Amino acid sequence: MTNEHDSRCSDDVAAYALGALERGEASELEAHLEDCERCRSELRWLAPALQVLPDSVERMEPPQQLRDSVMAEVRAGAKREQATSGSRQRAGWLSRIRIGSLSWRPIAGLAAVALAVVAVAGYEIGSDSGNGGGGSQDSIVTREDSGLVATMVPEGDGGRLELANVRQLPKDRVLEAWVQRGGEVEAVPALFVPDHEGRASTTIADMEGVETVMVTSEPEGGSKAPTSNPLVTMPIPE
Amino acid sequence: MTIRREKAERLADEELMPLIGEKDPEAFEVFYDRHGGVAYSLAYRIVGERAAAEDVTQEAFISLWRSGARFDSTRGSVRSWMLSIVRNRAIDQLRSKAGKAPKLAFDDDAILEQRPSEELTDDEAMRRETASAVRGALGQLPGDQSKVIELAYFGGFSHSEIARMLGVPLGTVKGRMRLGLEKIRGELAEGLA
Repeated sequence: MTNEHDSRCSDDVAAYALGALERGEASELEAHLEDCERCRSELRWLAPALQVLPDSVERMEPPQQLRDSVMAEVRAGAKREQATSGSRQRAGWLSRIRIGSLSWRPIAGLAAVALAVVAVAGYEIGSDSGNGGGGSQDSIVTREDSGLVATMVPEGDGGRLELANVRQLPKDRVLEAWVQRGGEVEAVPALFVPDHEGRASTTIADMEGVETVMVTSEPEGGSKAPTSNPLVTMPIPE
Repeated sequence: MTIRREKAERLADEELMPLIGEKDPEAFEVFYDRHGGVAYSLAYRIVGERAAAEDVTQEAFISLWRSGARFDSTRGSVRSWMLSIVRNRAIDQLRSKAGKAPKLAFDDDAILEQRPSEELTDDEAMRRETASAVRGALGQLPGDQSKVIELAYFGGFSHSEIARMLGVPLGTVKGRMRLGLEKIRGELAEGLA
């Protein structure tokens, strides 16, 4: 290993630690890290420097309403957890649903309607329909007729589900994502809500074997199984 | 089952996480009260708007509430994990706003405000020491080094974007990042010695 190689690697490790490498470069470095103890050690050594950066910002007191809002959602979730802890089995009709079947098609009068896959690259299942929804070399974009756009961006073994043009929800409702895997419907742990501009996102840690991704509106604290028709349904090709 | 708040307050973050994983709101409330301030401050520092910072902070804490049971202590502290969630969501929000430049400020020597000492726990006092150290370290960095770190960490820019912005080669940007981080790290190591 030459000094030039060491310096170049150290530069890349620092940029990687700051999240400043492009996606492809980051993947290359991660592969390199698997074989290079020296770079792994460098990354470990730099980690504390990254961890203290948030402490360098001006400290602001978060508004009380934010705390109230967070805790209201948390307490509602805790109550729901207690209420359902003895009955975790999904409702019969939900446990039998096939997401790709008509039973999961959105119904008239609700915000959601059938979706069309309009652009694919990373998962290679279609081509751009001209929706203007975008699409990239590693994303799936679906759209809904009323304007809701869902994008699935692969991240490692999982993916990031990003929604745009989401209608504002009542204060007692949240968005919950679901994945269908082997005919079973699983809740994605992180609940999420649209921001003021109708954008929302959540992370799906493991996309292995996922056939369909959906999002529904659920009561505060989420549900153990979907209780409403999906706002968006995104088939995931093999 | 919930535990009394005063008991939860005596627990370390890593000890709170199993309780949060069991959906104990008292444990979560203690965690929020410990880290809500820095999380909101970081979010605001990145997105530059109060409403957006509130959205980011709320999403991040609710995400932790939902996924707390999956916390893996071998991958770092809960606090770092939480702040990583905040940063990633804030950067995502920035990127989704096409054409909007992130809020950037390079005078880190002047932006750290302290809370009244009576509000501080021992942990918080320690963090103040750490914040003071990193503020000092950032302040002592050459401007070109602190700038690339700011643009990358708080602006979410890639090294190639930063190179274009500053009109310098990619290698120069990465080199400045390394030198800057190494200096901060060195200051921390000296502070702990």
